[in-house]
Amino acid sequence: MTIQHSKIILRRFCRSSRMLQIVLILGFWLAGEGIVQVIGLPIPGAVAGLFIVLALLISKRLSLRTVRLGARWFLAEMLLFFVPAVLAILNHPEFLGLLGLKILTVIVGSTLTVMVITSAVIDLWFRWAVSRREYDNAQK
Amino acid sequence: MTMLKNDPLLQALFWSVMTIAFYAFGKELHHRRPCFWTSPLVVAPLLLILAALSLHVTYGQYISGTHWLVGMLAPATVAFAIPIYEERVLISYHWPLLIMGVLVGSVISMLSSWGLADLLGLSRSLRLSLLPRSVTTPFAMIISGDIGGVPQLTAVFVLITGVLGVTIGEVLLSVLPLQSALARGVLLGMGAHAVGTAKGHQIDKEVGAIAGLVMVLVGLLNVLAAPLLGHLLAAIQKQ
Repeated sequence: MTIQHSKIILRRFCRSSRMLQIVLILGFWLAGEGIVQVIGLPIPGAVAGLFIVLALLISKRLSLRTVRLGARWFLAEMLLFFVPAVLAILNHPEFLGLLGLKILTVIVGSTLTVMVITSAVIDLWFRWAVSRREYDNAQK
Repeated sequence: MTMLKNDPLLQALFWSVMTIAFYAFGKELHHRRPCFWTSPLVVAPLLLILAALSLHVTYGQYISGTHWLVGMLAPATVAFAIPIYEERVLISYHWPLLIMGVLVGSVISMLSSWGLADLLGLSRSLRLSLLPRSVTTPFAMIISGDIGGVPQLTAVFVLITGVLGVTIGEVLLSVLPLQSALARGVLLGMGAHAVGTAKGHQIDKEVGAIAGLVMVLVGLLNVLAAPLLGHLLAAIQKQ
């Protein structure tokens, strides 16, 4: 009875506290790291954590409301976690000259190519699928 | 200042606070004047580099106090489970298209990076470090190590790709006549990984969720293919 009661209180508390949800997500991450270590999977622990959370959500063992606030916080502030890595450029003064310009050219050129071709392929297929569906419907 | 340099804990605290403060400043600035130059990923590193140079602090000293922030990318990856779950209906309906987009995108990304780098005469280790740049950081660093690149360099390239990719992506989204949220999400997730996904979430919930899923799929596919790719590249090199 008391266990049941405290469970309900804990759940209610977790649904309203972003801080608690952040800690919960950190817990899932550590669980993922642990599993990857033990089994020796060739994927990052964070990805294992992602699949654990996804599996729990799909099997309804975890309710969306228990993690949604925390997840939104992580996704909204994700750019902050990239900032310190940019300073690695301090160790590479050689990139400030022509070499840096060449690297930038590769990155911009390749990114442009990937974005245009991939999205065009997807969109054309999507349009084709939609028009075929309309055609099928018209036949009926 | 000498006290700051001698106490690693105090130094870690100082640089962590500085990083977060500059990021918050950049975010506020971007909110008021939204353009490429005011992105927190441009403003914060620039201010931090200026601070580090004027205080004579090396990258090693800086990162030893702030690597925990970069480490937060891992739980952020876990958090992607939530938008993916929320858009499960859309995703289960379009999964063949998504898989195809990821395959096409990965192959084109690698080929165009390698080809352009070769054309401009970049060294082999630089070329290899550039290959996984459209993959999000934790994955990209693993892949880079697997195929013989320099993981630290790859991390920087991944980041540049993200910042520039978002800008290129925004321009392309306004120019290309894309009809589906699917294509817009794939464009951002494939081209600009996590930074593109963050942008996607600002545009539309659907676009963001697809970008996030594509980012994770690209990472998985590439990590699994990396050892194979490493052998392939080594074989090409021997000939």
